[in-house]
Amino acid sequence: MRIVCPFCGERELGEFTYLGDAKPVRPAAGASEDEVFDYVYLRDNVAGETSEYWYHGGGCRSWLKVARNTLTHEISSVEPAAGAGARQPAK
Amino acid sequence: MAEFSWASRSPLEHALVTGAHGARGVEAGVSLTEVRNFDLIQVMARRGKAAELVNAAKGRFGVAAPNAPKAMQSQDATLIWSGPDQFFVLSKGGKHTMDTLALTLSSPASLSDQSHARALVSISGAKARTMLAKLSSIDLHPSAFPIGAAAATSIDHTSVTLWRGNDRSDGQAVFNLLVFATFAESLWHTMLDAAAEYGADIGQSEEF
Repeated sequence: MRIVCPFCGERELGEFTYLGDAKPVRPAAGASEDEVFDYVYLRDNVAGETSEYWYHGGGCRSWLKVARNTLTHEISSVEPAAGAGARQPAK
Repeated sequence: MAEFSWASRSPLEHALVTGAHGARGVEAGVSLTEVRNFDLIQVMARRGKAAELVNAAKGRFGVAAPNAPKAMQSQDATLIWSGPDQFFVLSKGGKHTMDTLALTLSSPASLSDQSHARALVSISGAKARTMLAKLSSIDLHPSAFPIGAAAATSIDHTSVTLWRGNDRSDGQAVFNLLVFATFAESLWHTMLDAAAEYGADIGQSEEF
């Protein structure tokens, strides 16, 4: 599998580290125990399109948000993760 | 109180043996030269100040700081892209140090002295690209990696900053590589092994 880093170009998988599902959103303060439990522990086991965080630690050290199909390993989009340094690759 | 005296030493001073390595009786296919005594400053834009850094760097160096994986040559420094909104300033002779760069760059950027934290190796010769192809997964063909191209990548599981400098006077491509000091010896041995079959000419220099 190869990931096209928006900053570096196409790179081998070994340069990246998988963090996890990019879908869960931290619940607001005062959320119920169930909501927090869900956020911290419960993950969907998706067969199909997923959104994941990957870290390009062996390259430009950017956090990336990758849309990947778990059935085909096809990657449909890679973008810089929100709040992780530069928002846009230079045009 | 005790006086401390810090003598800077190359991380390759034990591993590097000047002269021929590997195949004998052939013209050396790879030249591996460690460059010593350089000034290296990491410049990283503060949040929201990337545009300001671009202007400040332009004023300081006279060339635009790289905003993509490239190395830019100014009159007395090389600016090497190291990630989004960040680059290295490589120079020698104390022209661009923390003290001198802080005056113009510390408002839009964080500066960090990496002069003694990295080893710099220059790789050239007729078999340089063939040798590097064993170690690197990126395409170093001139059509994909021309003079001035740079990459933050991994070689032998070690993060490196790789860029192509100006060709040698004999027309051979020159690849420059910055590696963390503590990983330098390991990577050096890996490169020696990769270069052995072509014959390597090992040296050290203070010129770049």
